[in-house]
Amino acid sequence: MATITVNGVKREVHAPGDTPLLYVLRNELQLIGPQFGCGLAQCGACSVLIDGKEVRSCITSLSDVAPNQEITTLEGLPARWAKQKGLSAEEAKHTLHPVQQAWIEEQTPQCGFCQNGMMIKATELLESNPHPTIGQIKEAFTTAGVSPNLCRCGTYTAIIEAVQHAATIMAKGR
Amino acid sequence: MATMSEQPGNVFGATLTRRQFVKTGGALVVGFSLVGTEILKADTPKSAAMKNSLDPSLPSSWIEIHPDNTILIRTGKNDFGQGTTFTAYRQIVADEMSVPFEAITTVVQGSTDATPDGSGAFDFLGRGDPNIRKAAAYTYQALLDLAAERLGVAKGKLTVKDGIVSGGGKSISYGDLVKGQQLKLTIPVAGDLTSIMGLRITGNPPMKPVSEYKVIGKSYQNSVIVSKVQAKETWATDVRLPGMLHARVVHPKTLGSTLVSAGQVDKGKFPNSQVIVKGNLVGVVAPTEWEAIQAAQQVASGTKWTEWKGLPGNAKLYEYLKNDADWTTAPVQKGNGNKGDADAVLASAHKKLSATYQFPYMKHAPIGPTMAVADVKTDGTVHIYTHNQNPQELRGEIAMMLGTTADHVIVHAYPGPGHYGRSNGGNAGAEDEAVLLSQALGKPVRVQWMRADDMQWSTQAAAAFSEIQLAVDEKGKMAAYQVDHFMPPMQDDRPIGAVLAGLPTMPAPKADNDRITSTINGVSDPWVYAQVPNVTERGHGTFQVGQKASPLAVGLRDHSMRTPVQFQQNYPRELAVSEAAALAGVDAIQFRIDNATEERAIGVLKAAREASRWDTRPSPRPDAVATGSKPVHGRGVSLMYRNLTYWACVCRVVVTPDTGAINVEECTMAVDPGIVINPAQLKRQVEGGVVMGVSNALLEEVMFDESGITQDDWISYPILNMSDIPEIKVVLINNPKVGTYGGGSEAPNALVASAIAASLHDATGKVLRRIPLKPAYVQALLKA
Repeated sequence: MATITVNGVKREVHAPGDTPLLYVLRNELQLIGPQFGCGLAQCGACSVLIDGKEVRSCITSLSDVAPNQEITTLEGLPARWAKQKGLSAEEAKHTLHPVQQAWIEEQTPQCGFCQNGMMIKATELLESNPHPTIGQIKEAFTTAGVSPNLCRCGTYTAIIEAVQHAATIMAKGR
Repeated sequence: MATMSEQPGNVFGATLTRRQFVKTGGALVVGFSLVGTEILKADTPKSAAMKNSLDPSLPSSWIEIHPDNTILIRTGKNDFGQGTTFTAYRQIVADEMSVPFEAITTVVQGSTDATPDGSGAFDFLGRGDPNIRKAAAYTYQALLDLAAERLGVAKGKLTVKDGIVSGGGKSISYGDLVKGQQLKLTIPVAGDLTSIMGLRITGNPPMKPVSEYKVIGKSYQNSVIVSKVQAKETWATDVRLPGMLHARVVHPKTLGSTLVSAGQVDKGKFPNSQVIVKGNLVGVVAPTEWEAIQAAQQVASGTKWTEWKGLPGNAKLYEYLKNDADWTTAPVQKGNGNKGDADAVLASAHKKLSATYQFPYMKHAPIGPTMAVADVKTDGTVHIYTHNQNPQELRGEIAMMLGTTADHVIVHAYPGPGHYGRSNGGNAGAEDEAVLLSQALGKPVRVQWMRADDMQWSTQAAAAFSEIQLAVDEKGKMAAYQVDHFMPPMQDDRPIGAVLAGLPTMPAPKADNDRITSTINGVSDPWVYAQVPNVTERGHGTFQVGQKASPLAVGLRDHSMRTPVQFQQNYPRELAVSEAAALAGVDAIQFRIDNATEERAIGVLKAAREASRWDTRPSPRPDAVATGSKPVHGRGVSLMYRNLTYWACVCRVVVTPDTGAINVEECTMAVDPGIVINPAQLKRQVEGGVVMGVSNALLEEVMFDESGITQDDWISYPILNMSDIPEIKVVLINNPKVGTYGGGSEAPNALVASAIAASLHDATGKVLRRIPLKPAYVQALLKA
């Protein structure tokens, strides 16, 4: 038995400590945002935020996550934004994270399988750099992390446009 | 209660029947009757296939109109990221039926028990005439007939706007027309449900003139994106059934190994795991995914396989294909554009090119490895939960494997990682293995391939080589073109689990299989240079590499990948045409224009020329240089006609001769699909295709030794990352007078390689006639 904090809620989980966090989230907590892509931290499909930093859940053991560390999955992005902006519970219910909103408005995903990791990476980037240049966006999605975030459908252009659009939405605070 | 009434009405060959006096609800349900010789000749399994999908009395219909004016549409095709079913299909139906886009509230797709027509996600727009368009056209005519009767106004005097029919000063909505009735429109279809092409709607209902389109041409959003970005969509990967076990498969050591002995589970470490063996199929199952992964690794280490070395290895691939492969068993195919006497002109030509072009094996490389959940019930019913491009054909393959009929197999379709053609002939890899393990255990089983399984045991795009000879005349035009395309078969639809288990499958590739799965290599790249007087194109086929030597009869299994066969043939042609332009001393775009006649081909070339700020001059550039550390610029062009769409591509690259590194700075793609249905969605498709194309061109090549594929992850099989993408310019040419919808998601990936290779020639004066254009290969060329 272990305790982890996911999307603002303390959860008790039963998986053995060496279980990759990905399987705990998907199979025990039914949090399906992170996807299995490679199991090798080479693609980014499984990414989550841990204390605001993008982490590959496929190689992060459950026992490596402390009970008080904040895990945020794709499901938790709206609440994360609502908390940062101090929105009321009612407002929060109807608010998407600007990254998600931008991903819709720019029609970014094609198959969408990698986009969990792309949105997690975008959130990490925009929280530390609210107005990234195209060069900084490319750096974030390729060399800054443990591996590049890979998309086989080739949506990189749409991702860059969506990150820029999300930055605009965040600046407006809506 | 309903009572039958009235004689059926005839609607352009379709039949409208009705039951009246339904107390609540009511609907017009568009189903179909089965006609046509192919259906009448269908054997028992095919007839049985229709039981779960095709009985028109079941709610498996194309279109339903509800009393609240909402409309539901169904298609057996399954979205793979193109968004077509959620955007273009709605737009097509909306315009054919004169309703707003928003009226089509529900799209049901893919699942074999809930959709009517089958076929794959490779031809959404049906060569300009998709089933859903005809279904909508029939439905519109039936609604006009109903309204004419109800309003007492002649059909020809009615007008329709936003789903409201008006005439003679009266009007009625579609919802009111169907309210209180159960109407069933039966439309004619032909074809074979569980074949690759599925069923097609026949007959000729009147279609809306293009001039009346209101919804087509606008950039409606793809509704499924909203749920996907919120983790509210259920993916195939998310399916969990009660009592479901997790499985991993221990695939053979080589592509020709048979099982000597399966390893045992270390019960001390993995008390809940077990090994299932069926022939050469070894599965490891456990209640939790992590235990299944670890137990499978432990079992794999104790499993013994025979050794096998039956492949040439990638270093000797082209040597093998040229000298050792047997090209005699498949009849040589001829191009439709063949004319004149190319041999004679080539024999006497004074400016002539004779060259060989090489195309490697490439992986579909989906971001998520293939997976499926199967549940084989005690009564023999099989449920498969998967992400599949052709669920109906998968049904047929699973039924064949189990020796049952397709009515016992239901495929439930879910979103998943795009795999770009791998399952358009039915299976993607894990479905059959999940079925066999579930059958053995009497429980639902989820098989998830690991990254290495997906790299080493999935199918790939076929390798190829082409021998081209061409001549240019004194006036700078092409006088003769001759090509011989050589390629192992592109489509092996045998489920690999069934092959390993020794169970029935369709035959291994051979000449007399059905056309798509045969070894015959057709000429698939339509000839676009109509002014060339002498043209000879030939296609030569053989078996899969390793197939004849492998005890499993598998070898390097190939399967269609985005722009299949045409990529392998257009790449050599377009690079050769750029070389021909250089030989003639003519600008590469002008040379193409001068040798073409089709206005749309010339149109895309001119559009790409303008948008890319092309400087008209011959290649190579005057200051081309093949040595040094100073980067040198080059640009190249390519042209293709595919699926009713004309494409022209211009790339601009920077080459560093000393390192051989190529950076693609800019890619311009001009597209004339005829009618542009949804500009924003098409633009995104083209951008994605360009990125995949740059990846294919610069990086991708399957590496294998004498036993199997040696790549097992994203380091050993790299794909393009965000830093290396070009600036992409998409020029959409809406050409409504063409009157058809051309396809938009294939082709761009296949145009890039030849344009980059031509750019390298422009920059350095040297031609590399193989892809990928890896630094090592480019460096070797430039140093030679």
